[in-house]
Amino acid sequence: MSSFLSRFKSGAGPVSPASSNTPLKKDPNAPQPTPLEKLLANARPIRPDGSDKFFGFENFGSTCYANSIVQCLYYSVPFREHVINFPSRSPPEALQRPPSALPRLNTDVQGVPLTNGQTSALSPSKTRTSFQSPSQPLPKKPSIVPVGPINPPLTKPEDNKDSPEYKKKQAILNGPVLNMDYENAQAYGMSESLFTSLKDIFEAVIAHRSRIGVVSPNKFLEILRRENEMFRTPIHQDAHEFLNYLLNEVVENVEQFSKSRVTELEDGHATSHDNAMSTVLKSVAPDLTSSASNTGWVHELFEGTLTSETRCLTCENTSQRDEAFLDLSVDLEQHSSVTSCLRKFSEEEMLCERNKFHCDNCGGLQEAEKRMKIKRLPKILALHLKRFKYTEDLQRLQKLFHRVVYPYYLRLFNTTDDAEDPDRLYELYAVVVHIGGGPYHGHYVSIIKTKDHGWLLFDDEMVEPVDKAFVRNFFGGENVLACAYILFYQETTFEAMQKEQEAEELAAEKKASETEQDTATVSGKQNGFANGHVVAPTPLHVPDSSEQFASLDHYPTAPPLSDQHPLSNTVASPMFPKLSPKKSTIQLNFRKDKEKKAEEKERKAQEKEAERQAKQQRKEEAEARRENFKKQQDDLRAALEASKATAEVEERRRRKEESTSQPQTDRNEASKENEKEKENGQPTKSALSRFRHTSLSIRGKPKFWGKDKDANGDVPSTPTVDSLPPMTLSPGPKEEKGEKETGKGKKYSFSLGRKKSTVLS
Amino acid sequence: MFVLPPPPRYPAGGYAPGTGPLIETSNTLSHPTGPEYQLVVGEGTYKLRDCLHLSTPPPHPSEAPVHNPNPLATTISPPTAGTRLSPVIITPGLHSNPQFYGANTTNSTRSHIPPSIQESPHENHSQASDGASHSANGVTQSSLNEAHTPTFGEWNPLLATVNGKDTKDTKDAKDASKRRKPKSNIVKSNSTFVSRVIPSDSLSKRLQEHDPSGLFVFANVNRALQWLDFSAEKKDENLTKILFTKAHALCHDVNSITKGPHHIDVIMGFSTGDIIWYEPMSQKYARINKNSAINSSPVSDIKWLPNSENLFLAAHMDGSLVVYDKEKEDAMFVAEDQSMEQLLSEKGQQVSLTVKKSVNSKNQKTNPVAYWKVSNSKINAFAISPDGRHLAVVSEDGSFRIIDYLKEQLLHQFTSYYGGMICVCWSPDGRYVVTGGQDDLVSIWSLEESMLVARCQGHNSWVTAVAFDPWRCDERNYRIGSVGEDCRLLLWDFSVGMLHRPRAASVRHQRGSITSATMKAQRSRTDGSTGRLRSNSNLTMTSDEEDEIVHPVEPRARTPMLPPVMAKLVDEHPLCWLGFEEGCIITSCSNGHIRTWDRPKEGSGSDEGASSTIST
Repeated sequence: MSSFLSRFKSGAGPVSPASSNTPLKKDPNAPQPTPLEKLLANARPIRPDGSDKFFGFENFGSTCYANSIVQCLYYSVPFREHVINFPSRSPPEALQRPPSALPRLNTDVQGVPLTNGQTSALSPSKTRTSFQSPSQPLPKKPSIVPVGPINPPLTKPEDNKDSPEYKKKQAILNGPVLNMDYENAQAYGMSESLFTSLKDIFEAVIAHRSRIGVVSPNKFLEILRRENEMFRTPIHQDAHEFLNYLLNEVVENVEQFSKSRVTELEDGHATSHDNAMSTVLKSVAPDLTSSASNTGWVHELFEGTLTSETRCLTCENTSQRDEAFLDLSVDLEQHSSVTSCLRKFSEEEMLCERNKFHCDNCGGLQEAEKRMKIKRLPKILALHLKRFKYTEDLQRLQKLFHRVVYPYYLRLFNTTDDAEDPDRLYELYAVVVHIGGGPYHGHYVSIIKTKDHGWLLFDDEMVEPVDKAFVRNFFGGENVLACAYILFYQETTFEAMQKEQEAEELAAEKKASETEQDTATVSGKQNGFANGHVVAPTPLHVPDSSEQFASLDHYPTAPPLSDQHPLSNTVASPMFPKLSPKKSTIQLNFRKDKEKKAEEKERKAQEKEAERQAKQQRKEEAEARRENFKKQQDDLRAALEASKATAEVEERRRRKEESTSQPQTDRNEASKENEKEKENGQPTKSALSRFRHTSLSIRGKPKFWGKDKDANGDVPSTPTVDSLPPMTLSPGPKEEKGEKETGKGKKYSFSLGRKKSTVLS
Repeated sequence: MFVLPPPPRYPAGGYAPGTGPLIETSNTLSHPTGPEYQLVVGEGTYKLRDCLHLSTPPPHPSEAPVHNPNPLATTISPPTAGTRLSPVIITPGLHSNPQFYGANTTNSTRSHIPPSIQESPHENHSQASDGASHSANGVTQSSLNEAHTPTFGEWNPLLATVNGKDTKDTKDAKDASKRRKPKSNIVKSNSTFVSRVIPSDSLSKRLQEHDPSGLFVFANVNRALQWLDFSAEKKDENLTKILFTKAHALCHDVNSITKGPHHIDVIMGFSTGDIIWYEPMSQKYARINKNSAINSSPVSDIKWLPNSENLFLAAHMDGSLVVYDKEKEDAMFVAEDQSMEQLLSEKGQQVSLTVKKSVNSKNQKTNPVAYWKVSNSKINAFAISPDGRHLAVVSEDGSFRIIDYLKEQLLHQFTSYYGGMICVCWSPDGRYVVTGGQDDLVSIWSLEESMLVARCQGHNSWVTAVAFDPWRCDERNYRIGSVGEDCRLLLWDFSVGMLHRPRAASVRHQRGSITSATMKAQRSRTDGSTGRLRSNSNLTMTSDEEDEIVHPVEPRARTPMLPPVMAKLVDEHPLCWLGFEEGCIITSCSNGHIRTWDRPKEGSGSDEGASSTIST
């Protein structure tokens, strides 16, 4: 019975190669399709824009901060598109491709050749392969440490198949691994920079035939570490700092490029380039004016404008100051919401006592009222929840575990009156989560909403589909180590929201009805329908369907409900399409019970036969795979040793060449203590100068300016702060808590320009 | 460049969510005092009477505590709810009914000027035996004579026979022993659904001692449901505690028609989708929607239908509203009535209430009585209007619908400013509906004008419960209370006159009153002036006022903002329920703390209080 039903189910869409070609059942060594593979089994053909590529990122030891941020940026659609199209879309042939590191695992993801010539969803579609440059045959071993402890403890965490360690290992094993140790900067006509290496990664992911895999961002990290010593040390880094650094760096790289390009143009292409370069140039040249003028796209996407209004209480003069921000850092309160955190910073602040405001109008320090509001809303709103706070007592940063709720949709209350579209609707599309007890260690992952496949969890190499509700697990709270740290909201429209909600609901309903179907099958079995056949709850484990129902396999664009149609068509009674399928199947079951039983038997026999064969095959393959993995591991270790030895030398040489005056840092086994000091204490100046755009610290409680991380560790804000009127630097007024609580009413009415009497009479 | 991998990321332990006690403990009662336990409002100071902490039961032995050290574990945990209360007073005292009692004669929301406060209390006794006006929401439920408010389904002869019997029963209501009890005894039950029942040793004695005008409370905490006597000396000692095996009661309600000294009908909705009809005096129960026969999704809210002994409405999380009959057996549900009611808004968007089984159906031998699909998104709460004609339903997708459930029609659909809507309630006169949600706002909607009249800003987090204080409402002034995830209780006063005043001059758009007509003109003006594609992110679907069903989101600049008259941190945990009683305000939190706040002592006479509201 179960298989009978599942046949209908799986018959509705293309079936994953895993389920269609190989009986997976009862073979413990067979690679089970990961949840992601299952999710993608019915996916439509790969789009060329890269929106449905799901690559994990390899962790090189505490590089999860970079992985999580890069993932978020990749799925920031406009950002990705700009990165790809700047300076112009490079013809794919012109670019060097990552060697497919493990061709064996690459070609047959499932370890099984495709037999019936079906275009599988997970393997290359023909259109894509046509302009693929042939992958280099020699597999380059990634010179990296595989994630998870290598030295085997007594019980290895990766032995547990549900553990992330195991899944990550499997992800690397299954590949394909894009070894990003090359650069195409020349092909882009740019000099090597973080931007070009980021572009390399994006290009490689998009161009690769496979929909899933692992990116090994060697070059990117290499450049990052070379350019900024802050990230050079192998310790845990702050993802927000990295985001800010990366965005600023991209801005800088892009602007630098267009500047040089403009001068080049003025020189009339007189500069001597080698052949390859000039061809690229030609292709670039037509777009040049447009792309050159369009260097501000990072600003366009992430930048908003804050206005700080200061009203001098002596002369009633109001002065305004605009500042740009790329992301907003908000202070947190226990049991609050993102909405309230944002509103809090726009609350009026009294500047008095030691914190007086220097009024230009009446001269001298005066008492003043100050508030910060958003004048221009960004397209992408990156919200940094300041979970790492400096505590005086402990003399170091501490993580705040406050419960801060965030909605899927957001509008901002703290806009100025003249803001354009003050009711702009934002949708949450990515969350960077910090897991750990403190700021100096832990792990970052990101949860991202994708175009077609809902929410996905990106945990280094591992990519896994998650429920929408999963996003809400990271509000924080007592005993909750995993808390949201950066929230990415993007602008959307009401219609889009409704459309998406409808789609989501439909999907949910479909899912629900599927599980209902499953339960129906199970209960059917209990009622003695199925002849002792073990029912696998997941439809993909039922092996036979595609051969027999191959004709039903190609409905990639079928509407979500379509898989119910066969059923309702079969049933004679007047059924409505919206009907809950559970019931109909049960009716069906009664009707077709006998037929089904016969069919079932036959099918089972076939299945067993196939299973036996496949099992054999599987075993051999698994054996080979294990061997291979071992070998790989050994190679890795060897390579690691070798590279460790050479790394130092190389690094030194490179730095000399670069002739950067960056001070040498002790990258190696820098003691944690030292690092900590560095982080709260004195950020190096070379790092400082790199930041131009503020990530403004909203209401960075002024008394912490001296030591608060956002003033120090988060370097960029410092310059701005310096240029601000003096009042920002002195401690804010201490409001009496009780007063504040009960006096809220007054405060609000005041800030809204309404009189209380109006309200109450 | 290469370093040792980071230390193990998920140290075992330290994560175990809610590692509660492993043994059954008893409730604790404390009496904290001090200025931080006082609510200062215009009419006086509310003081914390006591704080009752319901003990969280240990996990059922069969449900080994899940110890997943991975904080990223993607297993979906079943829905849970914080402690919610269903208070019930068997025989309300002389002055116990709120002033707004008179509202029950209002037919609909329009044009009727409710009697003023002073006139109202006289009506109380007439129906006292019937036990009037008490609902969990703190909203006066009209205990009307049937002539005024139609009872759901009474026009269907198949249901009417049953209801007719009901009516007769109601007339004999004084003889409560005639009330039908559920079949199974819950104490002796060997159901796997119920784990254990712990009745008080002196249950019958305590019931005898119970003051008929005293407050009984049913409260859920984790997998337990407790029956408490709030008027007793030892209110922490439960009358009965039921432990369910793994299902959590998410919502419950007491039937105000059938309650009596020897009979209370309690209905509970569970995280497993099951529903239990429980009669605590006789310790009998019946299980409805067993094994998800009718709907498999959890029940997020449940309420008895007004004037009905048997019928109740349950909101399932898949977006269905189902009317059940407590007496009827379940039958496998197949949508039968396919005459989908489709109402098209002007842009051709489909707005409808899908009637999967109509109350007019011929088949009324089994449950469900009626089955409506409101939307596909989770329904978070609903409320029945005081006149018993309308439903207000709020959903996770941010929609808020007004449904004429007697006619099975969708009347209006509004949308939150952003984010899901969590709670809803009606004003005692049925003119206004108040909602709270993930936009941190309490929103006041006018039924007469079918529009948003004000947004109340003051919560620091999501608003989880809203309620009117019927004792502080009259025909022009309303007191609203709200609690939220920010652990705070906020009180709001709004008056009819205030709402219709133009907004302060600071608003860019200067206009007269907030009426639909001007709104519309305004709307087009804004659209034109901004002239950007995006300017529509708030306003869409402009349509004529008359047959408008879907209402667009109001921009912030055009809606009055209302500040709270009181805001106070009242608990350490996010709050999830709020109720107004004659003598107190009750709040409860997600962790099982129930706090009772006594109303100001002096001038407890309602008139003085009311006048102070106005004069504030």
